Amino acid sequence: MSAEKKTDFHVVNHSIPRRDGRVKVTGKAPYVADLKLIGMAYAKVLRSPYAHAKIVSIDTLRAASRPGVYCVITGNDLEGLNPYYGHAVKDHPLLAIGKVRYAGEPVAAVVAIDERTAFEALEFIDVKYEELKAVFTPEEALAKDAPLLHEKQFEAGALRGFEGEVTAGKGTNICQQHRIQWGDVEEAFKKAAAIVEGEYYFPMAYAYAMEPYVAIADVTDQGVTVYSSAQHPFMVRHDLKSIFNLPVSKVRLIVPFVGGGYGSKSYTKIEPLVAACSWKAKRPVKLQLTVEEAMLTTRSDDAYTWMRTAVDAKGKIIARQAKIYMNTGAYAENSPLVVEKSTNRCVGPYAIPNVLIENCSLYTNTVPASSYRGFGCAQVTLPGESQIDELAAKIGKDPYEFRLANVAKPGEEFFPKMRPFDGTLKEDLETAAKAIGWKNPLPKGHGRSIACSGSDAGAYPLTSTAVRVHADGSVTIMTGSTELGQGSHTVLPQIAAEELGVPFDNVNVVSSDTAITPYDRSTGASRTTTLMGSAVLEASREAIQQMVVMAADVLKVKVEEIQVVRGGVRCGEAQLNWSEVITKFYALPDGEVIGRSYIRKSGKFSQLPVFWEAACTGVEVSVDQETGKITMEKLVTVGDVGLAINPALAEGQDIGAATMGMGIGLFEELVYEGSQLVNGSILDYRLPRFSDLPKEVELHLVQNQDGVGPYGAKGGGEASLNSMAANIANAVDRAVGVRIRQAPLTPERVWRALKEKELQNSKVQKFKE
Amino acid sequence: MMPLRRFQMHQPKNVAEAAEMLAHYGEKGRLYAGGTELLLAMKHDLLRYEHLVDVKTVPGLDKIEAKNSSLHIGGTVTHRAIENSPLVRERLPVMAEMARQIANVRVRATGTLGGNICFAEPHSDPATLLLALGAKARVQGRNGERTLAMNEILVGAYETALAADEILTAIEIPLLAKSQRAAYLKFQVHERPTLSLALVLDVDASGNAITKARAVVGSVSLTPCRSDKADALLVGPRDKVEKQLADAAQVLAEAADPGDDLEGSAEYKRHLTGVFLRRAFAQALSGAPR
Repeated sequence: MSAEKKTDFHVVNHSIPRRDGRVKVTGKAPYVADLKLIGMAYAKVLRSPYAHAKIVSIDTLRAASRPGVYCVITGNDLEGLNPYYGHAVKDHPLLAIGKVRYAGEPVAAVVAIDERTAFEALEFIDVKYEELKAVFTPEEALAKDAPLLHEKQFEAGALRGFEGEVTAGKGTNICQQHRIQWGDVEEAFKKAAAIVEGEYYFPMAYAYAMEPYVAIADVTDQGVTVYSSAQHPFMVRHDLKSIFNLPVSKVRLIVPFVGGGYGSKSYTKIEPLVAACSWKAKRPVKLQLTVEEAMLTTRSDDAYTWMRTAVDAKGKIIARQAKIYMNTGAYAENSPLVVEKSTNRCVGPYAIPNVLIENCSLYTNTVPASSYRGFGCAQVTLPGESQIDELAAKIGKDPYEFRLANVAKPGEEFFPKMRPFDGTLKEDLETAAKAIGWKNPLPKGHGRSIACSGSDAGAYPLTSTAVRVHADGSVTIMTGSTELGQGSHTVLPQIAAEELGVPFDNVNVVSSDTAITPYDRSTGASRTTTLMGSAVLEASREAIQQMVVMAADVLKVKVEEIQVVRGGVRCGEAQLNWSEVITKFYALPDGEVIGRSYIRKSGKFSQLPVFWEAACTGVEVSVDQETGKITMEKLVTVGDVGLAINPALAEGQDIGAATMGMGIGLFEELVYEGSQLVNGSILDYRLPRFSDLPKEVELHLVQNQDGVGPYGAKGGGEASLNSMAANIANAVDRAVGVRIRQAPLTPERVWRALKEKELQNSKVQKFKE
Repeated sequence: MMPLRRFQMHQPKNVAEAAEMLAHYGEKGRLYAGGTELLLAMKHDLLRYEHLVDVKTVPGLDKIEAKNSSLHIGGTVTHRAIENSPLVRERLPVMAEMARQIANVRVRATGTLGGNICFAEPHSDPATLLLALGAKARVQGRNGERTLAMNEILVGAYETALAADEILTAIEIPLLAKSQRAAYLKFQVHERPTLSLALVLDVDASGNAITKARAVVGSVSLTPCRSDKADALLVGPRDKVEKQLADAAQVLAEAADPGDDLEGSAEYKRHLTGVFLRRAFAQALSGAPR
């Protein structure tokens, strides 16, 4: 199953310093915010103060007649466009039309000579609302008398990312339902030696990126050009093409440097609105959101999970059942896929013979939820990995040994119809246990935990690339994969340099311009190294094949007589490097050879997932029992990455993901009071800081070359997040004996749990007396 | 954070001119001494002013001096300057220690002591400690100067007793006597403290009895709070006071009457008052920074 194993790497598997590091830290890297087009205007957005309201009227006259204002656009001005978009469900109007569905929803935009003028004009737009009853939780959304958020039937998006039906738009507030089932769960629970059962809550979180959403649109008779901080330019192109009813060739998305994504930049966000502004203003328009506005644009689905897990007398997990209600907010965005993924990911990386998982996401009058690093895995790994520890405790087993005995084995078909497991979790767990010092004695008030996760990752395999070998032997990779900070601009040239035998420094990357770079479905689900990496490898080899034919022509020998050597060809005594082959072939020191590759769901990529993304994390925490404050003493990550094309970058992704997961475990949580998001700023929304980092960190990679990607590589970068909240909850339980089933584990929540435990203990004591 | 609305900046040459400007612009104007709170609120469109009177360039307001038995810190002295001042570190280490804990280094380098007090944000680190230390604010308006105690100047959340034309020129802090011990502690999860607690104790020559106490809990209610009744419970032989710490904390919390907010529930803040009063008591008597 796995790719060829090779060990004598020249460029790959080396920690080459990242390409974009120096320009970024010296402030020279241009982001969309730095770009300026000739004649460019600036937009600012008026947002709804109400969670659910009918728009009775909008009067824009006063705002539009202010000096410096070019135009004001509202939902009433969209005739001629198809204003609803969405890759999963076309439920999202680019500006509110007729009604608003959450507090913060864009209702109008002012386009003006500068940002301040646009902003100052906003308060001169007069909007009359008629407030409607609103719902904020799945429970409220499901109630019999719940108001309906979406009255209309929707068109299902063609690029929803899964094969199942879309549930949304059927006259209820249900956005998406999904269910997986095998074995006989009821029977298994009857026969179980021990069962644990509980309810868990994973909060709304914001995937904070340093760069908030920003886009520049230029809509002309020639088509639509948009510069954006988008993660998936081709997906955005698809939405814009349908909004403006244009051929694909007339829509161009250009993504320069991006200041982080973490899921928040995936799929279409503000691009349709900016393009509509440009369309109406008849000039290029820039819209740059503030962080606070970005927090009103997207968030993670929060999840209420009921779960039970059973074990037999031998300590083997025999059944798991869960019901999940996810709060998807006002619009579907990517939540239907998050629902599908979180359903699958409930199983964890365990071989469980009886499974029933039911998942349902609900529309509510809150900020629309979408992708968040790990696509629903963190939401269900909190219950999943908590229950592994709870179950181990119940049957008196060491949770680490319990995991070792139950994790999916290499090659095991643990998830029906999916790719057999392609990782080595036993080795990963052993590495984590050794690093965290699992058996070492602990001070009082300290606790350790090791947890793992396995995700069906890689998204849908549809990726293409061109590798251009120039007459001087240097190389340009044309890739639709976006460099978000994950390191693709370093990893991809490493692969091309390895294959073509040219120096790494001579391989350049041109990326994410849909008019120039070949199609790549998306940059997410940890897929780039595996899929785009494979495409670059194949395209490099295809270029070599072409150059072999050219060399035969130049040397006037048969193709079979040409032997490929590193960086060129040999035929008897004659040896030519690529530059010589191309130059001699064209009889001019210029010209090029273009190697191509198209990857689709076939061959080694015919079975989904593209790969299982597996990782372990280990933590040691200490708890201040008076305040409930948790301190991270130690963190261990183990990335099961097959082969790290660039080990330093892979480790960097792991600590980044683990830190993000730690944020959820300790303090990150968007809070609604009534209809309003009350901590929607980075002053009030608590992100991890350097001072929160664990006192000790160990980063490990397990490299067995068992992935389907280049040289046995597979993706990483999300998995270390997934298990962190559960890990912290487990470690707190082991430290101070309280089981908390809600993230984040804020000091007050820990203190309350400790107080509750004390109360129970004193009751027991009294009873004994 | 939105782009700032248009406003005019004025730079008076002296305090008298600043007072005139403030009087002239009335509600349309505001004094600007660091901006770490003011500009943030303006960027969030919570406050709007057409005129800002920048006193940072007024000579003489940025001095730290020891006079008689007190420390005079000018209104535009930054938190960072207090934190790093050899004079403060030597003569009133607890003040430098508190300043070191304010927000982050970017805020400390820009934010000023006078601005902090006059903005009257309820989660102020300096306000809590200054009330415990018995500090006074010198203020100057068009009609002359006056001195206000901390509990007189801070009257509510974002609310001071200053008249529209008055400027805080300096904070006067009595230096601690040899018999006095002080501690400042806080508990913080978010950007601002959940709870701050300052304690000043007078001990007798033996060190085994407390003759006078002043405890302040801050950040849990609109203004920092102290209670004569709580302070009375902190006086007496050390072992007796130690037994009364929980009661004193309860009385202090009762007086502060904390509310529920994003920082935590009222109940939790009452509990933390007890934890941190005990910790502050131990720290004050351990001989750590005064």
